Amino acid sequence: MADLAVNLAGIKMENPVMSASGTFGSGVEYDSVFDIGMMGALVTTGLTLESKVGNRPPRLCETPAGLLNAVGLQNPGVDVFIKDVLPEMLDFGVPVIANIAGSTKDEFVEIAEKFSGTGVAGLEINISCPNVKTGGMALGTAPEVAAQVVGSVVESTDLPVIVKLTPNVTNIVELARAVAAAGADALSLINTLLGMVIDVEQRKPMLGNVVGGLSGPAIRPVAVRAVWQVAQAVKIPIIGMGGICTGRDALEFILAGASAVAVGSAFFNDPLAAVRIIKELDEYCGEHGVDRLQDLVGAVWK
Amino acid sequence: MNGPGEFICRVSRQVSLGTNYYLIELEAPVLAQTVSPGQFAMLCCGEGFDPFLRRPLSIHQVNKHLGLVSFLYKVRGKGMSWLSRRQSGDQVSLLGPLGRGFNCSKPGSKGLLVGAGVGVAPLLFLASELVDRGWELFILMGGRSESGILRPDTFMEYGEVKIATEDGTSGIQGSILELLADELEKSSFDRLFSCGPVAVLKGVQGMSKEKGIPAELSLDEWMACGVGACMGCVCQSADGSYLRVCREGPVFEAGEVVLSG
Repeated sequence: MADLAVNLAGIKMENPVMSASGTFGSGVEYDSVFDIGMMGALVTTGLTLESKVGNRPPRLCETPAGLLNAVGLQNPGVDVFIKDVLPEMLDFGVPVIANIAGSTKDEFVEIAEKFSGTGVAGLEINISCPNVKTGGMALGTAPEVAAQVVGSVVESTDLPVIVKLTPNVTNIVELARAVAAAGADALSLINTLLGMVIDVEQRKPMLGNVVGGLSGPAIRPVAVRAVWQVAQAVKIPIIGMGGICTGRDALEFILAGASAVAVGSAFFNDPLAAVRIIKELDEYCGEHGVDRLQDLVGAVWK
Repeated sequence: MNGPGEFICRVSRQVSLGTNYYLIELEAPVLAQTVSPGQFAMLCCGEGFDPFLRRPLSIHQVNKHLGLVSFLYKVRGKGMSWLSRRQSGDQVSLLGPLGRGFNCSKPGSKGLLVGAGVGVAPLLFLASELVDRGWELFILMGGRSESGILRPDTFMEYGEVKIATEDGTSGIQGSILELLADELEKSSFDRLFSCGPVAVLKGVQGMSKEKGIPAELSLDEWMACGVGACMGCVCQSADGSYLRVCREGPVFEAGEVVLSG
């Protein structure tokens, strides 16, 4: 067995395969399906200060090799989450990263402070959700605005701060540089691509929210490109995500410069996707004489 | 086993039920033992990643003794078309059992089943369970025409069947809701159970309220995860929040949900 372990900004994981925010619930939903304890880390659904009902349905639409969603961060709010859901997640014995979604800079700080001493291993700042009216992507497209949010959160917490970026920008490298300079400990690349599907019979948008975020294999090349560009421009580690369904998909991200990867939509296609990807990563290492998977990070350009 | 599991199932048979309708029977011994009426499974309906999502199909019939589970479905697109080409001996992956099904333990002894089109799918398993529990059943089936009235002879084994078709090719000419209104005028029932298009469910919901007869409705919605993780398949609850069709449903008490469309 190859060494798949990774230390991501102080978060120690046995393997680099994490769950992507919003796709895996609290993990409890999949508890009877496979051993959640074999995941590298779990990332929570996007958590807001107050509970959020989410967008009106339909929230989903299948697209070629992917799906469009506009859930709108439906969640019970950070306090209820910490009290009722987090203990179950921590029981899995793997690092838990809280994805936090404030609608203002101050809200981000307030949510971040609530996670001190709760046992989470890190925070993932969501300034990239395309499906909410305030916060989300609105705070994550202008480098100076993003940097202000990140800087404030970094000052308010001792936890590692990961920043999840949107690909819906002209220059993702500029954005990544700005949040890295503001003190981010790691980056998650990428959130969903803004998209739209129209029902030609009804002559109406398919989603209740009109537009939504595209995920799945359809967006993978876009995500790999973003990781490849950003990894060469910043010194902090990157978690790569966007349509990862197989070990070879994960390897593309690692070779492009990601230290870890997250599996999201793939769970919908195959609930055992994470288990299989970890196994396929190990097999690849065996077949190619790789002792430490981390040696491959950025191998395409290093 | 309490929660769902992932199973690779051998197809034992695939039966065409006329234009676009099929019945697929799978060897799924664990599922057959654990599933209850109204629950569903997420079936993998393709190779590779297109179509990307699994398809939620409610359990149509179960043979616990032989470990068989069957699904009744209509071919609409790529996924169901792929499924319809599976033959005896092929394999299909599924995740199940999922969701909250019909509440078969509620008191009562006289039930009315209202199934429109392929919405009759979960009602056969329900009928067998209710009859086992001593219920007397009356069954209303509706569709556009005779070809959309699925397995009426099998339903007749569990109770008196009445049919409505829009073109009058089978049963009365008209809507299943006219049949329902008529039936509720003539006699009383302890409980209504329904599955079908939203228009039919809304009609059942309305008459349930008007007559004060409790009703359970099985909803159909696009799903991604099927287990309650992704929040993608919601419907509106009476208090304005959103309920997950895959987890809090797919079967709801009529008063729990606000139906739109």
